[in-house]
Amino acid sequence: MAIQTILVINKSGGLVYQRDFVPNAPRLSSNEYLILAGTLQGIVAIASQITPKSLQLDGKSSARGGSEPMGNNSAPLVPYMGTLGATTANGAPLGSFLGPDYFNDAFASWNGRGLKHVTTDQNSLFVYHTLTGIKFVAVSTQPTTNAMAVAVAENLLRKTYCLYADYVMKNPFYEPEMPIKCELFDQHLGTLVKQL
Amino acid sequence: MAIYSFWIFDRHCNCIFDREWTLKTNPSSGTTNSKLNEDTAKLLYGMIFSLRSISQKLGSLDSFNEIRTIATAKYRAHILCTASGLWFVLLSDLKQEDLSQVLRYLYSEIYVKTVVYNWLSPVDFAETANEKRGQGFRKIRNRQFLLAVEQFLGPMVN
Repeated sequence: MAIQTILVINKSGGLVYQRDFVPNAPRLSSNEYLILAGTLQGIVAIASQITPKSLQLDGKSSARGGSEPMGNNSAPLVPYMGTLGATTANGAPLGSFLGPDYFNDAFASWNGRGLKHVTTDQNSLFVYHTLTGIKFVAVSTQPTTNAMAVAVAENLLRKTYCLYADYVMKNPFYEPEMPIKCELFDQHLGTLVKQL
Repeated sequence: MAIYSFWIFDRHCNCIFDREWTLKTNPSSGTTNSKLNEDTAKLLYGMIFSLRSISQKLGSLDSFNEIRTIATAKYRAHILCTASGLWFVLLSDLKQEDLSQVLRYLYSEIYVKTVVYNWLSPVDFAETANEKRGQGFRKIRNRQFLLAVEQFLGPMVN
């Protein structure tokens, strides 16, 4: 499974970052990517609206069902990503998300109801929401519904969020909600995806 | 194994069958072809329609890239799109990773044999032009079909 594209969608549904990692990725025009981002923004809200009635009825017992694919296991060891919180294979630090204050315990996703994961015949698409409304989307080149693959992808997107916090939000020249043009973010995201 | 609801949409964007189970413990609970589910059906249709258009853009040009599953944090929707423009949608819990075989059986063994082969069943559930584009109200009321769906999906409810 390879990551084909990573998108970052801001809280109002605009596309602020798009990058292809596969050389023969289908070329969508920038306009098509903008439409895609806006559509996803709408679907995320709709998906939570159509939660089945039987789930709504026994929702009290599992009100915090946000992290079901992860289960309630305490081992945050993820294949291909190493132990969460450990240093990378070549020892190069990838930013502050490697510090001991992050990733020491299994994380409960903030996305308790919205869209998470879509599979089609050729791709799968993973969505990671942040508390502030930014959405990180990864498109991979193989359809998979395996809970572990979903967890790996979610972790990748969470690390992308950390890179975003480190190299985009801390960049004094970055204007919030505007397209991301930060060289350091590009660089580190490339390293992160290459490690998969 | 838990499934929550089952929907069929025709090529005019109408929901022609819906079955929702409300109690996991009781396979005969819930509603069939309910008026109250009309809005939910429209939302579900809209979500699948949009994601389907996205997936067709993302796929390569020389082959179809049909949508298979949509997962949220609470449930997973499994989708089968047939060549005749019908969509079979099954909502299940997250432990069901792939129910495409179940959907294929529902289509080829139940829908085709009890609805398509039935001479008294209409070919098209939208009879006039203003019942198209999601405005239709006719549903599958065929007893054989309802019974077969109940028998097949009932054991999977809890």
